[in-house]
Amino acid sequence: MRSVEDALGIRIPDNARILRNLIAGIQYVQDHVIHFYHLHALDWVDVTGALQADPAATARLAQSISDWPNSSPEYFQAVKDKLAAFVKSGQLGPFANGYWGHPAYKLPPEANLMAVAHYLEALDWQRDVIRVHAILGSKNPHPQTYLVGGMAITLDPDSETAINADKLALIRKLFVTAKQFVDQVYIPDLLAVASFYKEWAGYGEGLGNFLAYGEFPDAVGTLLFPSGVILNRDLSTLHPLDHQKIGEYVTHSWYKYGAGDQAAKHPWDGETQPNYTGPKPPYEFLETDGKYSWLKAPRYDDKAMEVGPLARVLVAYAAGRPEVKTLVDAVLAKLGVGPEALFSTLGRTAARGIETAVIAAKLVPWLDELANRIADGDLKVHNGDKWDPATWPKEARGWGFHEAPRGALGHWVQIVGGKIANYQCVVPSTWNASPRDAKGQPGAYEAALVGTPVTDPEQPIEILRTIHSFDPCMACAVHLVDARGREVTRIRLDGRM
Amino acid sequence: MAERIAIDPVTRIEGHLRLEAKVENGRVTEAWASSTMFRGLEIIMKGRDPREAWLMAQRI
Repeated sequence: MRSVEDALGIRIPDNARILRNLIAGIQYVQDHVIHFYHLHALDWVDVTGALQADPAATARLAQSISDWPNSSPEYFQAVKDKLAAFVKSGQLGPFANGYWGHPAYKLPPEANLMAVAHYLEALDWQRDVIRVHAILGSKNPHPQTYLVGGMAITLDPDSETAINADKLALIRKLFVTAKQFVDQVYIPDLLAVASFYKEWAGYGEGLGNFLAYGEFPDAVGTLLFPSGVILNRDLSTLHPLDHQKIGEYVTHSWYKYGAGDQAAKHPWDGETQPNYTGPKPPYEFLETDGKYSWLKAPRYDDKAMEVGPLARVLVAYAAGRPEVKTLVDAVLAKLGVGPEALFSTLGRTAARGIETAVIAAKLVPWLDELANRIADGDLKVHNGDKWDPATWPKEARGWGFHEAPRGALGHWVQIVGGKIANYQCVVPSTWNASPRDAKGQPGAYEAALVGTPVTDPEQPIEILRTIHSFDPCMACAVHLVDARGREVTRIRLDGRM
Repeated sequence: MAERIAIDPVTRIEGHLRLEAKVENGRVTEAWASSTMFRGLEIIMKGRDPREAWLMAQRI
């Protein structure tokens, strides 16, 4: 959408800007909490260990880190009973086939029980708060109310069916609910769990190069999370982002370029010509000296980059943004570690929590801004000046940026004669899960895994910790197979968008 | 002793992820990430109305 708006020179109304921020903002908050509890926490929390917990001691632990009301001994006893009944049934559902009892689990039983309780609470909470998408976007996932030039949402205080005072009040209530859970449950749990796993501030470091396009524009275009590039872990120099420096390699990807596979191509000139050269399934291993992935290898100024929460937080930190800097410094102080700890598996997971808190604090102020504009009589949500293709130039090209929860997302479009002549998407996972490039430089996952300890190759929980810290958005199952292709274990995770 | 392990698939909404890693003396010494599914949305988009691009790209 932004790529087409950029190509056609369309400026969206302020109300549309705020509505887009609200929809994306609550998505971040919901998505990151789901990631922490339902996708990542079980790498650190031994669910079966919770059965050994003393509910009274769990209550004392919970009350010592937060004033969240669900913290009585009776509450934790009830959660423990529920879990025990669940385990006894023999059908573990989302907890089936984990590496329970693995020596890499370090939490005391009470911390495990507290985390399991909040895992369950988060399931209800996430369903509740994302109702904002139903109100503003008609559905979730994939809100339907976007429109080139603005939004297809009617703002009208006098209409029953439009966004009126009642709907604004409901959205406000959901935003308050969202922020309370983040501040009183997610962040205290994150700090509590992290304090038992500080050695993970030394693993999963990865590339040390970070890229952010930035997101959440205010009325004058300043981004809450700024854009920029950090190289070689140097937080003292923030390089300005220039999208023209982006190029994609296919040297190790199952594609071919017309001019050969050794040179990178900017997405405006990008090609998508499949060229599968890999082994015929089922196979044991990929031929990683040649092409081995359906992802291209995007590079910035010929360097591999990490994108995502850590990149955004580091860029904001390097830019000296007070909202981010204060929180980062507080988290580091609480854990008793220095800024170098950010470059790690633990740092990635902490950065996700930090940005969630920053965004959760902005939701109500953004909503207030919208409500004030509506009160002043500004109901405009769409700029239709360039809606008619007759108003378009014969040829145009544009690029649109967004920070998705998982990282920098760019779309490049070329429009010729009113139709799309070329469209290229470079999504966050293309950066983070990138294969090697023409020079053999690894992508972010590939680099981050080097040095990761593996106590038991049959149960490589440590690899999952680092990979999950990037939030690869696993849908339902991870299968682990050994060198003979035999499935050694399977971890089922809860579904998510 | 070096051992090669594979984790496949790591499923995601927009595709599948496969990881291969060389493990030596209890540490990963080299790793490869592979998407095992073709997306191809870029090909679908060609020739379409730019005003509907977001609706399709959103599904990635």
